[in-house]
Amino acid sequence: MFCVKNARLHPRTIWHFTSYGVLPIRCYRRPGVPPDNTPPWKKIDFNFSKGVQGIKKHFGLLKKEMFERFEGPQGRPMREIMLEQTRVVWEFRNQESLEQWVVSSDEEMGGKSKIYLRLSRNNQTALLYGNMCTEVPKDGETRYSGYCTLRSKQLLGAFNVKTHHDWSNFNTLYLRIRGDGRPWMMNIATETYFQHQKNDMYNYFLYTRGGPYWQDVKIPFSKFFLTSRGRIQDDQHPLWLDKINTLGFTLGDKADGPFHLEIDCIGVCNDRAHTEEFAYEKYKKNP
Amino acid sequence: MNATRFLFHTRSLRLPLLCVAGLRNKSLSSGPIPLHQFLSSDHCTRRCLCSKPVFRRDPSQSEESQNKPDKTLISYDNLFERAALDSKNKATFSHVLDVFKNKDIRRRGHVEFIYAALKKMPEFGVEQDLAIYNKLLDVFPKEVFIPRNFIQRMFNHYPRQQECGVQILEQMENYGVLPNVETKVLLIQIFGKKSHPIRKYQRLMYWFPRFKHVNPYPVPRELPQDPVDLARFSLHRIAADLNAKVTVYQMPSSDHNEDGNLVCQPYIVGIQSPDQREVLAKHRPNRPVFVEGPFPLWLKRTCVYYYVLRADPLPPEEKVEEPVDPERNFFYPLELELDYDRDLGDDEDFDVDEVEEGPVYAMCMTDSGDRDTLAKWISGLQETNPILGCTPTVFRLDSGPSEVQSCTVSDHPEIEDVLQGQKMAQ
Repeated sequence: MFCVKNARLHPRTIWHFTSYGVLPIRCYRRPGVPPDNTPPWKKIDFNFSKGVQGIKKHFGLLKKEMFERFEGPQGRPMREIMLEQTRVVWEFRNQESLEQWVVSSDEEMGGKSKIYLRLSRNNQTALLYGNMCTEVPKDGETRYSGYCTLRSKQLLGAFNVKTHHDWSNFNTLYLRIRGDGRPWMMNIATETYFQHQKNDMYNYFLYTRGGPYWQDVKIPFSKFFLTSRGRIQDDQHPLWLDKINTLGFTLGDKADGPFHLEIDCIGVCNDRAHTEEFAYEKYKKNP
Repeated sequence: MNATRFLFHTRSLRLPLLCVAGLRNKSLSSGPIPLHQFLSSDHCTRRCLCSKPVFRRDPSQSEESQNKPDKTLISYDNLFERAALDSKNKATFSHVLDVFKNKDIRRRGHVEFIYAALKKMPEFGVEQDLAIYNKLLDVFPKEVFIPRNFIQRMFNHYPRQQECGVQILEQMENYGVLPNVETKVLLIQIFGKKSHPIRKYQRLMYWFPRFKHVNPYPVPRELPQDPVDLARFSLHRIAADLNAKVTVYQMPSSDHNEDGNLVCQPYIVGIQSPDQREVLAKHRPNRPVFVEGPFPLWLKRTCVYYYVLRADPLPPEEKVEEPVDPERNFFYPLELELDYDRDLGDDEDFDVDEVEEGPVYAMCMTDSGDRDTLAKWISGLQETNPILGCTPTVFRLDSGPSEVQSCTVSDHPEIEDVLQGQKMAQ
């Protein structure tokens, strides 16, 4: 019955339980924008037909989830899950595949970079293009600017329950891309338990060569380093592959001008020659 | 007694008069006062950045206004602006730093001065210079900010100065400047071993060397200035084939023709590998080849544009699979016909259809992307690929994915200009 009105503008309020009471955790608020004090009941859109559609969709998903167990975990036969060496996670063959991704840029902070995502001409690849502008917004708080990101949406099951990607059988990320020579950064966000880890992300660089040929990129998961809010952390540990929430691409190379990145497919594979567990030292660095 | 008191009284009166006379002398002198006198005038209070105005008497004002206290805004940025009047280079910047250091042993106001200096560094062109950063760190007074007991160690001793030190290192990090031993020694002398700036330095020295050689396609720091050399470098980069050969079809030149007008000839640099030449030789002459472009290629902060000669993929009914010649390789068979396929546990291919794209025959880079220049490139290519003589060439310019479109995408009209090879050869 209830639909959340325009979830992008009114994110779900998260409640932080402390010893001195219950506080709402607010998301980033642009300086100069007045705080959003609308009561939560106003944000729900009471629309009957949409409500019925929602019920149908969620019960359908629930039924599917209940019966797909009989075939195997996540509905795939056990033999496939045990033996597979490669898996294609995202491919861009139709418009629905673009619905799984979200683009954002520093326009949310007041910057002037623009980014767009569309299917390319032959309908077989996704094209991420835009214009980067490093002009710092004049709000007195922001010091650096100029970034554009593409991030996958969180997987949702029946009744919007968070589900995760499980890549524990694999150890390498495989991408087929065609860039313009700009260096990108890949971000993987995993499911965390504590609120302090909310902004934890595992990053690595993605260097494009440019040119008319496709580029196959294989990044082992052992190379990803832990960062939080853009700052690389001292205590590093390897990326855990069993509950991955989102994958993202960020461009922030401080060069003003247009950019484009064509992505054919994103998959994971098991590189048997790669035996490295973690590329960086795990010992305590601030004794 | 009274006489001495009177003498003292007059003596004490005389001093301010002398001061005023001194100021008057200063004010009557024409022209701007030199920098070191400007800094050493002792009636200045704490100076701050532009955000916080400070009121002081401007000594270059006239005599009458000396009697009323005049209020003008002065900030440390002004120092750099005055130095920039001569020229903006490393020498003037270090001169300003020296002047500040020599003015006061206590280095009053050094935090604001350092923040102003960090802001002005890009203007003077010294943001990548490690010696200047070390000199800027030298501005801090030494051994004052090191904590001496456990209470000072607990409570973030001199937080503003530590934050300032961290900001210097952060600017170094942003511009990719790696600190050296001198930086470490300075930081230890100024802040001590367990301070925030030293921790930041340790993090820089841990992570930067790890990520220095991570780029599989590195771009050299100094790109070649000559456009032809730059084109050569970028074409080798995108060709993805070590056997590819670069040919310069036309060198850049600007001549005056008979009318006295300046005629500029843009440079044309092309690249083609033997594999591409083979595929082009097998191209069917009844199908057109397309010249597409300009596509952008970014090398650090510079963007160059290249053009591509390619053909559309053959429709599936016309595709002919040529039999693989077994004599190409005597060491192992290139094709095997087996009864069993690979098991799922050994299958390392991705279950994705390959994107159908036509073959790329050659690439080129040129200054101006008009049809005449590209036609000259095609005619140059014709010497090594005679099939281009009888193939229609279609120019699809401005059709790359580089343009930014805010509304719904519409294909740009293709500039179709069918040039017959025979006409070109004439």
